[in-house]
Amino acid sequence: MAAITPSEPVSTSTQEIHTKKMWKTLVGHVPISSPFYQFHPVTRLYLFVFLGVVPLFIFVPEINFLLVLVSMALMLWGRADLRGLRIYAPMVVTVAIFMFTVVILAPGKDPTYTPLHMSLITIYYQPVFFTFAAYWRLMAMLSGTILYFSTNRERDMLVALRAVRLPFVASYVIGLSIRAAGMFMEDFRTIREAEQARGLDTKAMRISDQVKLYVMYLVPLFSIALRRAEEISNALFARGYTVTGRVKGGGQRRDYIRSLYAIRTRDVIAIVILISLFVGAGISNLFFNVFVITDSPLNIYLRGVLNIP
Amino acid sequence: MTALIEVTNLDFTYPDGTPALFDINLTIRQQEFIALIGQNGSGKTTFSKCLNGLFKPTTGSVNIEGIDTRDKGVIKQMVTKVGYVFQNPDHQLFNQNVHDEIAYGPRNIGLSKEKVEEQVAEAARVAGVSKDIFSEHPFFLPKGVRQRVAIASILAMRPNTIIVDEPTTGQDMRQSVEVMNFLRRLWKEEGHTIIIITHEMRIVADYAERIVVLGKGRVLLDDTTRKVFANPDVLRETFVEPPQITRLSQSLSEYGLPHDVLSVEELVAAFKK
Amino acid sequence: MSEVVVIQDLEWKYSNTKEFALRGVSLEIEENSFVGVVGANEQGKTTLISCINGLIPHSHHGVYRGSVQVFGKEVREQDALELATNVGMVFADPESQFTAMTVEEELAFGMENMGFDLSKIREQLDWVSDITMIGDLLDKSPYDISGGQKQRVAIASVLAMNPPIIIMDEPTSMIDPLGKQFIFNILRRLKEAREHTLIVVEHNIEQLASLSDQMLLIHEGKVARMAPPAEFFDDPAYLVERGIVAPEVTEFAYRLRELGQFSADIHLPLDLDNGIEITKSVLDRQHS
Repeated sequence: MAAITPSEPVSTSTQEIHTKKMWKTLVGHVPISSPFYQFHPVTRLYLFVFLGVVPLFIFVPEINFLLVLVSMALMLWGRADLRGLRIYAPMVVTVAIFMFTVVILAPGKDPTYTPLHMSLITIYYQPVFFTFAAYWRLMAMLSGTILYFSTNRERDMLVALRAVRLPFVASYVIGLSIRAAGMFMEDFRTIREAEQARGLDTKAMRISDQVKLYVMYLVPLFSIALRRAEEISNALFARGYTVTGRVKGGGQRRDYIRSLYAIRTRDVIAIVILISLFVGAGISNLFFNVFVITDSPLNIYLRGVLNIP
Repeated sequence: MTALIEVTNLDFTYPDGTPALFDINLTIRQQEFIALIGQNGSGKTTFSKCLNGLFKPTTGSVNIEGIDTRDKGVIKQMVTKVGYVFQNPDHQLFNQNVHDEIAYGPRNIGLSKEKVEEQVAEAARVAGVSKDIFSEHPFFLPKGVRQRVAIASILAMRPNTIIVDEPTTGQDMRQSVEVMNFLRRLWKEEGHTIIIITHEMRIVADYAERIVVLGKGRVLLDDTTRKVFANPDVLRETFVEPPQITRLSQSLSEYGLPHDVLSVEELVAAFKK
Repeated sequence: MSEVVVIQDLEWKYSNTKEFALRGVSLEIEENSFVGVVGANEQGKTTLISCINGLIPHSHHGVYRGSVQVFGKEVREQDALELATNVGMVFADPESQFTAMTVEEELAFGMENMGFDLSKIREQLDWVSDITMIGDLLDKSPYDISGGQKQRVAIASVLAMNPPIIIMDEPTSMIDPLGKQFIFNILRRLKEAREHTLIVVEHNIEQLASLSDQMLLIHEGKVARMAPPAEFFDDPAYLVERGIVAPEVTEFAYRLRELGQFSADIHLPLDLDNGIEITKSVLDRQHS
């Protein structure tokens, strides 16, 4: 009987590779080809920092709203999986409900607040608008983050971190933690199935019991993680890994993966633009008091209409 | 024999759009010992999870002792009919001690306290879990014992059908024989239907009565163990090889040796003739 | 031929157990040979190989007596880097030995530790992805591929570092038959190239028997038997008592020899082809 030779087709999963448009990552999917990949991961990391931090300097909701649109447009341009955005929808709505409920029911006391009498309740204009501005700041940061994780793989992140001279050990620990998180999620899924196979109907449970359930998951999750931690440390030992990143022969450690990416002119230009914008926004805000809430056209308009000084 | 599980025109597609099973029709009867075999990615695990309602059919139906798995709120009824033992016992041991572990299922299905204790004692006895370790934490037990606790925790719900995912993976010969003999006893003496998912053909030849071969999400062969292994050409397409001794006998058919031996014993006997 | 591993009177006890796991092991392994290691679980197989790759005593605490030399130097006195240069290790669970986010990084990681320069890394990467047939996986995430593919990546990442000794601890125990076949084909190629010393722990006795130059049975922390496979399987009762069954063709020939159907001086077959050949010759003689 003929032995099965390695040249035969392997499995369906190999064929899938060629038809797939997306790579799987821990937090979702990234496109296999995207104009973003024309830029070095470090440039993409700068973009992430820019989109994530700049909203902190800006308290004009209109501008933050524009930043959300910019992130969305970049996602579209970068061929990211926009359907993946759906999973954030409940969060976006829940956060809004939570923030506004709190500020309407417990606005705090300040003599400068302007009360607006509605039919049943009294709301105060200033804290509500403040919350509105804060919400859009949050949304701008969130969409920057989603953009980053839907166009960057874990590997890009690590290359970027090493490119900005993060010590090898630190980037390695980050990488390992990401991997561990992946296994953790996989285990979590299996454990939930195992519970269901023992007659647990989560849909029929009260919320308080569901919370208790999560505590219960910790037992198997940690026992598996403990057993695995030892295996991973053995694997590191067997590969000759030293915590200091020291290599055999004592020479300099070569970074193969980093060597696959080159920083090109377009990266330099993009980084210069991003840093200038970043510094510009920071200086304008901190030293010249620009981009503050009183600059908001909507704020000015509403105050005019509602006759608030 | 009465039918326990009736699978009709089953298709299954994962929520992310990956199709996994196509048009499966199958009847599983009382007191059968079935081996589910096929390559990884053939749909074995997906199919087995449809058999206990963990996965719901995309189209078609799975009927377990009169209950359609697509109906709402039937989880509790279903687990008393089909038990599922996961490959890694660590995934299904989440209680603080062995007793609570075994009692977890019966408590979930809302049995009275006495009934829970009765079924726990019975399951522990059958699975060979000593009462002396009832207060120990499952995490600190050796792997073989953890597996027995996992099986006991399923038995305690008294399901008619028990599905065991790779019962012998990572076990040595003696441990494999022990767990397989135990499953055989559940089948023969206690009247359970046993379904194992495995890659080890020697185990299949020694224990299973019926083989279901899956490939690319379809049932390729479904027959008695002897007949399936006597059919090496179809098997080869699924990358499954009969046991070595079967292949030896088949290669010598020109000398009148049978096509369907399942063990060294049988071939020695045939040879003597 | 020279010995690359020499173990003398090795005893080892883990600090958290009462009993010694190894109780006086002495053996020698020849350069570029293939050693198949078998034995029931918990008898000391994994402990023994941990003593060769240095996990014992470097990563475990316990009582260590006797000597383990790799290339003439005590394992105790070598550091992780030196050991990894000499001894590569493939574990049973491929998933748990991955440390990187893509297959390519996984392969590069060990080589970077070895201090290879970039051109050497590139060269090794090509060679190793070819021999283990993972060229089309390099860009993928190690958790997005099948079990068999994972194990091939694990083997590739060790081969890439080019250690003269490679140890594998049950490399096929977690994968399906086709995946297993791939791994054994890789092992066969490596064996035929005779450029590495291979020490393989494996439950799949049928494949192991036909690959091994020497079979090693570990029982109760001791070497119960170490011999070329044909000799190794010549006393099945002894092996069964220690939890090992011979390949079915071997057992079959042995049984017929006991019954006087096969002559007493036949060489026991170790694989199917060999078994067919021997049985045929006996049958032919009977017919004529």
